[in-house]
Amino acid sequence: MTTPMLEVKGLSTKYVTRFKENVYAVDNVSLSLEEGQSLGIAGESGCGKSTLALSLMGYYFPPLHYMKGDIIVDGKNISGLAPDEVRRSILGNEIAYIPQSAMNALNPTQKIINFIEDVIHAHNPDMSKMEIYQLAAERFETLGLSADVLKMHSVELSGGMKQRTVIAVSTILSPKVLIADEPSSALDVTSQKMVIKMFRELMDKGFIKSMIFITHELPLLYNVTDRIMVMYAGRIVESGTAEEMVFDPVHPYSKGLMNSIIVPESGVRDNKLTAIPGTPPNLKKPPSGCRFAARCRLATDECRKSEPKVQHFGSNRNYRCRLTEAQLREEHSND
Amino acid sequence: MTNTIKQIFHSPKFVVGFCIMAFILLSMIIYPLVNPGNPLEMIGLGSFQKPGTYVSLYDSIDSSSTIFKLPDAENNRISQKLKDEDRIAIMNWLIDYGVSESDINLSDTNSLLDLWWKNYDSSILVEGMTKAKRNYYMRLNKSLESAKRTEEYVVSHTDKELNELETVRTIENTDYVNIQDVANVKRLPLGTDNFGRDVLKELVSACGTSLRIGLIAGAIATLIGLTFGLLAGYVGGIVDDIIMFITNIFTVIPSFVLLLLISYSIGQDQRGASTIALVIGFTSWVWTARAVRAQVISLRKRDHVNLSKLSGHSLIRIIITDILPYIASYVVMAFILQISTAILAEAQLSMLGLGPKTTEVPTLGLMMNWSMLYAAHLNGSWWAYFPVLLTIALISFSLNLMNTGLDQVFNPTLRD
Amino acid sequence: MKGYRKYFGKKIIWLIITFIAAVLLNFILPRLLPGDPVAVITARTAQGVSEASAVKQIYEDYASKFGINKPMHVQFFSYCKNALKGDFGLSFSQYPRPVSDIIHDAIWWTICLQFPAIVIGWFIGNFLGVLAAYIRKGFDKILMPIFLFFSSIPAFGMAIILLVIFGIHFKIAPTSGGYGFDLIPSFSFKFIGSVISHYHLPFWSIVLISIGAQAVGMRSMSIYELNADYVKYSRFMGICDRKIVGYVFRNAMLPQITGLALSVGTMVGGALVSEIVFSYPGLGTVIYQAVTMSDYPLLSATTLIITIMVLIVSFGIDIIYAFIDPRIKAAQFD
Repeated sequence: MTTPMLEVKGLSTKYVTRFKENVYAVDNVSLSLEEGQSLGIAGESGCGKSTLALSLMGYYFPPLHYMKGDIIVDGKNISGLAPDEVRRSILGNEIAYIPQSAMNALNPTQKIINFIEDVIHAHNPDMSKMEIYQLAAERFETLGLSADVLKMHSVELSGGMKQRTVIAVSTILSPKVLIADEPSSALDVTSQKMVIKMFRELMDKGFIKSMIFITHELPLLYNVTDRIMVMYAGRIVESGTAEEMVFDPVHPYSKGLMNSIIVPESGVRDNKLTAIPGTPPNLKKPPSGCRFAARCRLATDECRKSEPKVQHFGSNRNYRCRLTEAQLREEHSND
Repeated sequence: MTNTIKQIFHSPKFVVGFCIMAFILLSMIIYPLVNPGNPLEMIGLGSFQKPGTYVSLYDSIDSSSTIFKLPDAENNRISQKLKDEDRIAIMNWLIDYGVSESDINLSDTNSLLDLWWKNYDSSILVEGMTKAKRNYYMRLNKSLESAKRTEEYVVSHTDKELNELETVRTIENTDYVNIQDVANVKRLPLGTDNFGRDVLKELVSACGTSLRIGLIAGAIATLIGLTFGLLAGYVGGIVDDIIMFITNIFTVIPSFVLLLLISYSIGQDQRGASTIALVIGFTSWVWTARAVRAQVISLRKRDHVNLSKLSGHSLIRIIITDILPYIASYVVMAFILQISTAILAEAQLSMLGLGPKTTEVPTLGLMMNWSMLYAAHLNGSWWAYFPVLLTIALISFSLNLMNTGLDQVFNPTLRD
Repeated sequence: MKGYRKYFGKKIIWLIITFIAAVLLNFILPRLLPGDPVAVITARTAQGVSEASAVKQIYEDYASKFGINKPMHVQFFSYCKNALKGDFGLSFSQYPRPVSDIIHDAIWWTICLQFPAIVIGWFIGNFLGVLAAYIRKGFDKILMPIFLFFSSIPAFGMAIILLVIFGIHFKIAPTSGGYGFDLIPSFSFKFIGSVISHYHLPFWSIVLISIGAQAVGMRSMSIYELNADYVKYSRFMGICDRKIVGYVFRNAMLPQITGLALSVGTMVGGALVSEIVFSYPGLGTVIYQAVTMSDYPLLSATTLIITIMVLIVSFGIDIIYAFIDPRIKAAQFD
């Protein structure tokens, strides 16, 4: 078996608010990502998926705090490294990040090329400006962006251009893992398509080796990713291949989430559109027992008391529920 | 609302500012009750009397005395007369005279004086000493000797009929009177100013006047700024253009200059404290207008405002119910800042001699102006200006602190 | 460069408009208000003169000298014409010295004192502000109230405090004047040395005040910037904190530059008053003399000159700003 590009074991992180309250936003998350694979993480707003994206980078600053767990990048455990070491050798270099609001991700008063210089010099101080320019221009042109963009300020770019520029800048050092946090949600449909195409190109041309894609738009995940994980209240509740997760979710939450969306390919699914009642739990005091219990129509007193274990079935499918696969399927078919 | 107030009082900055302000306000209310009277009354004939307790010399002669044999009385008497520079002068003389430096201990009064008494003789001519210097040493010696002497003082008064002195009483150097028995004792914690007025009483009164100026000026400036800002922001169009035109002009022309010209033109006789407050208010609304306008423009497009418009509510009603509540926190902060700017502006004007007329009420600026005119800072009368400066700074500091505290409550990004 | 034309054009038009407004105000304000400067001057000159006709004679003399008996617009045009020629009439307090001569002597003292002091205070203040925002914790908790306190002290108050501490207590700096009173201005070493030693106290009092005010503003501005998305992104791209602080400093400073353009008038006002404390031979002291001596022509001319100086400085800052902030350039193409 090859070493995975990214392996995460039991990662937990929390936010500390200014009133010194702990918000357990990521709780005991494990995942594994092979070379060439892309993984989607789905969930409602506030489920901790953006925090997970930040936590995966292994570089924490207030209010986010590391609690426990390991992050292994290409066989190297980075959880024990000093923050400065993580910054120098991992960030941007091995793991790259595309923030939620790429619109404002670029310093408004800096030329794009100067920012790229700073990024590269942070990891490779010896590279000359000329070399950097050549590398950047070549990369930008390969990705369908004009090299003229390099000489501009971000304020001179349109929204879609900014987003694509951020993607190109993030991957300039050909990282092993790219973490994209809702990279397309603020864009119009045309720009979205171009961005998705760009991700495929990055993967195909080997500029990135694997990718984690975080979004609340499930149809997008189905198009872009190989595997999907569904997150709820800081925990992964179910995972499987994109196909399986969209067409055959078993966990009541995943099921609800999939039912609450409109899938563009009409006729593929004709389930009625339903919303999940209630709101996610307060993560300052997570409920004991199953975190979804309060909103789950299958919940029993047992669910509210003890935490459900992760159960496995199929080739590589996991879900976190007390009920067996068969029980769940029966319940779902009653709808 | 209660929640917001609770939040505000959780901000340490606001609370500290609030406490300082409360302290200032309380002392403004309480002190005149304890020490009533006209703050501008000239009680002293001399100027810049230093802080302390003044005991009537006249009355203490009449008071019953008692005898204390205090061991260090004589030393105290001498060291009162022997200032630091005198000690150094004595040391210099002794060295010039030929005493070795290692024998002299400046801080030990007794040994220093022993050396002095033993060696000093006004007839000795030390080489290279000027006549003025020699006279200085003679004077010093005389004053030290008077402190050393033990004979009593005789107090007498003139008998008009016999036209001769009649002894009233003799005063020994061991006589003491209890300060409680003296009929007239004046406590002046901050001394007197150049006109012989009680600085503390004046300061408390000035503080009140300055705060009043600040409040009036701040209220006027905020009101004008708010009205202009609301009109420009909400009505827009030509109204906005006109108001912004005026505002832009007055942002660049220093309000200090306008203030100066207007105050000067009004003339000394017409300038009361409230006139000055008015003038300050009318020259400092610009910032509030700009800020309010910017806020209103961003509010104007919000759904709840559109809804009100569609429901046919009147302009006044929309402004009062849909816009004002959203900019209220902002306006309060602007108002607080205006108060502190106005107090500073009054002080600056008064420093230039353009403050309120001097005969009616003291203001902090006028007190500064007087103490500068009479060079209090050059002759070491710190009590005449430093407490005033400190008061100005503290008022302004407390207002600024409260403002920062509010800012942190209403602008979450600024929180710690 | 082409993109800037519109921007500069707009700025220049505004400069001209405010200039005209300033001249108008300077002319009109004293004439509109109830006080009668000529009467004030007459009262001063006519002290001890009891005969009504003699007082009236003096009044009319002054009135014709000022030209206030002519119609308003005639007065205004002759005022403008004379002002353009640099002729502000004769001073009353230093009669028969021309006002322009007095201002000419004082203006360089003020410019050389205030310009460097405000600029240096601005830089130090901004630097400390961004540092406080970045370090937060203890550094900020201590520095922030200190800045706030400093910015609460009026400029002349800081001047007095420095004067008393360094000039009177430690006797390491002269307490008044712009140079030794026993010297005549010349380009000798002795004179320049004297000027420099007299320069320190007024200079530092202005610097300290501007540090406080700038640092407070810069701190808030930097906190906004530090929370900006590009900071987070830069961090996650592995850029070291020192560089990021550089970005934040630059971006937070830009609004501070426009802020300086807008607040330079207030700062100059404060600094002028602190000149009085040191009897510094600049415009502040001239104003003070003009006020105490009821020298109306001198006061009017000095305020006009100060306004024009402030206008020019803010205009200059606006122009420099356009070259520093790419957003201005970008806005021209919209």
